[in-house]
Amino acid sequence: MTLLKKILLPLGLFALVAGNVHAQNKELVVGSSATYRPFAYENPAKEIVGYDVDIIKAVAQKAGLQIKIVNTPWTGIFAALNNGDVDLVISGVTINEKRKQSYDFTAPYFEARQLIGVHKDSTAKGLKDLAGKKVGVVTGSTGDDIASLEFGKTSPDIKRFESTPVAISELANSGVDAVIGDNGVIAFRVQEHKQLKTVSDPNFPKEYFGIVVKQGNKALLDKLNTGLAAIKADGTYAKIYKTWFQAEAPALPAQ
Amino acid sequence: MDEVIRVEGLTKNFGQLQVLRGIDCSVSSSEVVCVIGPSGSGKSTFLRCLNGLEEASGGRVLVHGVSVHDNSTDVDALRSEIGMVFQRFNLFPHMTVLDNITLAPTKVRGVPLEQAREQARALLIKVGLLDKIETYPNQLSGGQQQRVAIARALAMQPAIMLFDEPTSALDPEMVGEVLSVMQTLAEEGMTMMVVSHEMGFARRVANRVLFMDEGVLVEEGTPEEIFDRPREERTRRFLSNIL
Amino acid sequence: MEPILWFGWFRADIIAEYGVMFWRGLQMTILVTVICIAQGTALGLAIGLARLAEARHSPARQICRYLLRWPSTVYVSFFRGTPLFVQILLIHFAVLPLFINPADGLLISGETARSLKQNYGAFISGILALTLNSGAYISEIFRAGIQSIDRGQIEASRSLGLSFARTMYHVVLPQAFRRMLPPLGNNAIALLKDSSLISAIGLAELAYTARTVAGAYSRYWEPYLSISLMYWTLTLGLAWAVKRLEARYGRGDTR
Repeated sequence: MTLLKKILLPLGLFALVAGNVHAQNKELVVGSSATYRPFAYENPAKEIVGYDVDIIKAVAQKAGLQIKIVNTPWTGIFAALNNGDVDLVISGVTINEKRKQSYDFTAPYFEARQLIGVHKDSTAKGLKDLAGKKVGVVTGSTGDDIASLEFGKTSPDIKRFESTPVAISELANSGVDAVIGDNGVIAFRVQEHKQLKTVSDPNFPKEYFGIVVKQGNKALLDKLNTGLAAIKADGTYAKIYKTWFQAEAPALPAQ
Repeated sequence: MDEVIRVEGLTKNFGQLQVLRGIDCSVSSSEVVCVIGPSGSGKSTFLRCLNGLEEASGGRVLVHGVSVHDNSTDVDALRSEIGMVFQRFNLFPHMTVLDNITLAPTKVRGVPLEQAREQARALLIKVGLLDKIETYPNQLSGGQQQRVAIARALAMQPAIMLFDEPTSALDPEMVGEVLSVMQTLAEEGMTMMVVSHEMGFARRVANRVLFMDEGVLVEEGTPEEIFDRPREERTRRFLSNIL
Repeated sequence: MEPILWFGWFRADIIAEYGVMFWRGLQMTILVTVICIAQGTALGLAIGLARLAEARHSPARQICRYLLRWPSTVYVSFFRGTPLFVQILLIHFAVLPLFINPADGLLISGETARSLKQNYGAFISGILALTLNSGAYISEIFRAGIQSIDRGQIEASRSLGLSFARTMYHVVLPQAFRRMLPPLGNNAIALLKDSSLISAIGLAELAYTARTVAGAYSRYWEPYLSISLMYWTLTLGLAWAVKRLEARYGRGDTR
């Protein structure tokens, strides 16, 4: 009896403690669509890297969270969040009212604007000049929203693609006259193709990227916001920004 | 009587297997020649070389002086002069009896349809099947199908008719009706070469009988010579097994 | 639009909102399917016959072997051996830009090329890929169908003096056709469903519409269930048509 007690008790205590510790350190799955250079993309070594990746890693470290990043196609990324396949999403997601109805966002981690990519010899100066032309966007992105608002949701002039690289290829082949997307991504892609250039429409509003969690997941949201505030305070955010965009990091609003 | 078919030193190999080892033969106009012999002797292959269904490995086959296997020969034109009747009839199942018979004359010779149909009716009367003119082959008995096949071949008014074991796939009671048609043809003066096991027919109708064994033409002669006074030992042995 | 809820959760209003697009998408799907079935069948017949081409004497013998049998065998192997999705992308982004390009198209260039690409680029690529793909499968159906016809039929026909071409046309193909109807019907149905892949290059057909709606509202049941029902209806219609054909061509066939 005594021997059994000697073995069982420590074992039981260990299991209890280990279980508790394990529960606290549960690995969180991060969904990111890795075709969004420079925010999230796959490098030749098949690792997911980018601005978003560095941000979430820094935030997780400050908040004491274990994370694993999984490449999730943009098309199903919100569905994955809702059914629990991923715990949070960081993928160049613009915070807007429509999305806030269905999901919860952290404070901003990037300031963005929409940008138009066109051929070098295009005379377009802004969104209005694209009327009647073929415009490429990523399905369901902010660019899609803007184009739909301007030209009509069911306009046959809007051509929707699953990812930015495909839309840019279409532009390079003259399949569309312009592509509308987030400035970070469009600028990067355009400089890869010598025959393309960017056009900035001053009417495009300032937008912000946020980390997305399932609606109502306050616990995780608070942890992420804490981490985010921390990296803004101690200069980590500015350092990451400089690494990826070679410029001074803009100040971000708290909400 | 002019020579319709002339065969000189015909050889045929299927890979390593030598099926015909040098056949010399000649068929004159209005002759009826029967080819007999054990299975595997090459009789069918020989027949099929005559209209080019089989390639020759050596030697020549001349039909009306035209070499069958030559590169420059228009084989289709040659075949329209040679009628062939097969063991398994090979009627076209998706066409009526009438269409089976009129297909070749209309498409190959450009005969007007009405004329071809008239001719078809005459041929069906000849083979005794006018009432079946609108039926499909699968509604006919074997003997009836073979008679239609004969009419179909005759529609092209060939100079010579080849028969490849025409009654071997028939039930015994239908053999007679087909042989009777063939006999009528012979009596009308058609040049015919018949590969068959029907010795009675050969004796009654043939002008000449050829006995083949193991790819060689062993003996040939009139039916009386072959059946009553065979010279070769192999011929005797074959006949004693059959008769 | 006011949300219209069916069964308490199905938002029929977002389907109605994109109604025009669904209708256009349905028409496009039907158009693509019909065109590719027709072209694929013609191509399949030609390739199927090419695979069987034989001649007794040179030079026809060599022509048959090297210009007909070998190329057609390679073609069939490639288009059956690579994914249709890859073929679509390859043709749209690599092959077509060689021929239709504003800068240096081998076939068409300049302004014509630009407007052609924009208005019909995805359409042309999609039709081309789908035709080539189904042509390969259909050629195998024809080849097998033709070869299944008893040799005696060909021998009897040739013995009557009918040429190879006439033998095929009057004797072999009519018989083979009835046998080929079931696999041809299956192929047509597969083609209808495969047409959804062309949405990836921006062709506005049914699947594209569903993705647009899903992207705009982050709701998946409504659009995908709707197009599923539409595809199902179309395939049922196609299957019924094939059955009617089978009944019609059944007269007087072999036992």
